[in-house]
Amino acid sequence: MAPALAMFAANAVFPLLYALDVSVRNYQLLIPVPPQFVGLANYAQVLADPLFWSSVEVTLWFIAAVVFLQLPAALGLALLFAGLPRWAGVAVTVLLVPTIIAPSVVGFQWAQIYNYQFGPLNYLLGLLGLGHPVWTASPTLALPSLIAIDFWEWTPFLVLLLFAGLSALPQDILEAARVDGSSWPQIFWRIMLPLLRPVIGIALLLRVLMSFKTFDIIYILTAGGPGAATENLAYYTYIQGFRYFNLGYASALAIIQLIVVAVLAKALIGLTRRPGLASAS
Amino acid sequence: MNRTMLPGPAISRRGVLGAGLSMLALGADPRRGAAAMPVHIECDAGQNELPFQWQASALEAKYGLTPDMVSLPFVGQYEKLVTDLTSRSDAYDVLVFPPYFLGDFQALGFLRELDQYFSILDPQLADYLPVYRDPVIKRGGKTYALMFDGDLLQVCYRTDLFGDPKEQAAFKQKYGQDLAVPTTWADFMKVAEFFTRPPGLYGTAFYAQRGFCYAWFVNIFAGLGGRWFDDKMNPGIKSDVGYQALSLLVEMKKYAPPNILQIDYPTLNQVFLDGSTALVVQWDDLPLKCENPAMSKVVGKSGFAPCPQRSYMPYSRVMAVSAFSKNPEDAYKVAAHMQLPDVGITYVYDPECGEDPYRESYLKASAVKNHLGQPTMSAAAAANYVDAIRGGLKAGYPELSIPGAPRYIDILDLYVNQALAGSLTPKAALDACAGEWASITAAEGQDRIAKAYADWVDSFHKVGLTY
Repeated sequence: MAPALAMFAANAVFPLLYALDVSVRNYQLLIPVPPQFVGLANYAQVLADPLFWSSVEVTLWFIAAVVFLQLPAALGLALLFAGLPRWAGVAVTVLLVPTIIAPSVVGFQWAQIYNYQFGPLNYLLGLLGLGHPVWTASPTLALPSLIAIDFWEWTPFLVLLLFAGLSALPQDILEAARVDGSSWPQIFWRIMLPLLRPVIGIALLLRVLMSFKTFDIIYILTAGGPGAATENLAYYTYIQGFRYFNLGYASALAIIQLIVVAVLAKALIGLTRRPGLASAS
Repeated sequence: MNRTMLPGPAISRRGVLGAGLSMLALGADPRRGAAAMPVHIECDAGQNELPFQWQASALEAKYGLTPDMVSLPFVGQYEKLVTDLTSRSDAYDVLVFPPYFLGDFQALGFLRELDQYFSILDPQLADYLPVYRDPVIKRGGKTYALMFDGDLLQVCYRTDLFGDPKEQAAFKQKYGQDLAVPTTWADFMKVAEFFTRPPGLYGTAFYAQRGFCYAWFVNIFAGLGGRWFDDKMNPGIKSDVGYQALSLLVEMKKYAPPNILQIDYPTLNQVFLDGSTALVVQWDDLPLKCENPAMSKVVGKSGFAPCPQRSYMPYSRVMAVSAFSKNPEDAYKVAAHMQLPDVGITYVYDPECGEDPYRESYLKASAVKNHLGQPTMSAAAAANYVDAIRGGLKAGYPELSIPGAPRYIDILDLYVNQALAGSLTPKAALDACAGEWASITAAEGQDRIAKAYADWVDSFHKVGLTY
């Protein structure tokens, strides 16, 4: 027990306490003066910082895309694959390829696809007479372009989880519903979806936490630009911590994120509780 | 990080061990007569490493040194260096970086003073162009770096278009003045507008991507008479001159290719070299590429001139010796050798790399040759090019180089990019940036920064630069 506690303290508690300590100091690595205690000044500064709020907005767009685009699409694909008795495993494996490619490679690959002059996407659009959009350099298109990459890269991961969940559903209950004359929509909404709730909860929990930390594609494709149009919280924290070496401020940003993520995680964990039979009837 | 051990003599482990043991037994310096430890040279990856590779055999032959290139990504170089040097890493002996890092690096004790090594190899600083000498490589009268690359923004324009009588007549009819290389920003805008004929030809293009778009703003700001700060460290960008300069840059987007916000250094080269742009402001290594048939469709059709009114000198590169180097004398030898007059001349006019002249002795048309000794452009183009550099340097506008400079500049770049992206008006962007600058100044210490800024301004007043 004691070694386990020591490991936990070293790996989780100490870094957290250290980050808390730094977040209440004006710790700037590049200024040769000792850091001083400033109380909650860094937190107040973060909350008054327009770039913080714009990065929150960008982060929320990524999360919204997970909930409203990736999850429904993944559920649809998982249902489709569940209906394929023979090749479902192969199909899911092939679909997983984007998820297993190194994120930096994904970034470079999409940088080529989105290239204004030489990219295959604009070439095809040009053939169709649809113009040549400036995908990652347009203030309006840059964020949707990154969200599209995130969709391509991570939807298969959701498909995998949901497909596993669907495969594990008790077949006798589904069969009984069919025998009783339930239509497919009734079976889906009243039986499958409630039974899948824990899996959906876990899938959402994992993806929401991951999308909070989206960094690679932003770093490679847009560097947060144009302007701050694609600068999310993770990237903004990186800028403050590793470009400006403003460690107190970056730590305050990190602690605020930790609190938000913890609250979100708590809410999503609630989703994972399997409902009683009554709600499925 | 990519490491490349440059070619050197083959040495067996047994040989080194045997020689080392016998020398130690004799009480001799084990480094004499045997290969010295490698000198780790940090440089941004790509074309700027080439001069070190070209000089590798000379470094070995003259000094018995084995150069070892440590390549860092161009974007993120500052973060990487600060992270490593803060932890007192000895991974680098020679540091190659832009001078705007120098204020921070010197203040944080990352660099060795170089004056103490001058007796080993005279760096011949008297031949430096004054603007690159005291203001760039010295702080408080002490030398902390040696030049490697003297950067300057310059106008490159299409002589075939400017010299075409039909174009000249059409321009005169439209604007009531002769078509000429612009010497004011108002004229620059007219010329850019005139030649905008999409999709085949655009009037101009500029570096509008996040990272260096600030430099194209500062270039206009300087030409209109702007200053980084006043004597009390109030930001100069929060002024009518600042708003006007940024408004001009935003307006310039109308005369540029549609993907302007994606244009960076190589793309800016490309849109001029492929003949799709009439004139651009770019770093002064573009002319060398213009006249290289392997790179350019505009060979013999390009002219070069200083920027309107003032020419901003963003970036450049210097070589310094890390304070944490275990091999500082050899590191100094590498840095000093690379900038000697007869060595620097072999790379500052080579189109394969990105280095530009920084010595008075380099500014002659006959010197415009590559590292193999071949002329890199015609005599007439070379004369035009050298004259443009000389003219630009006369009205050079220095890159900010005080403690905190990387943060001042990065914040400025962010807000200029926001204005270019249309998310903020020029005034709102510069006002917000000025607020951030005031915070940086306060955090750095108002008096300390004001003193550093005054010293820095004084250093280029002393070399005759107007500011």
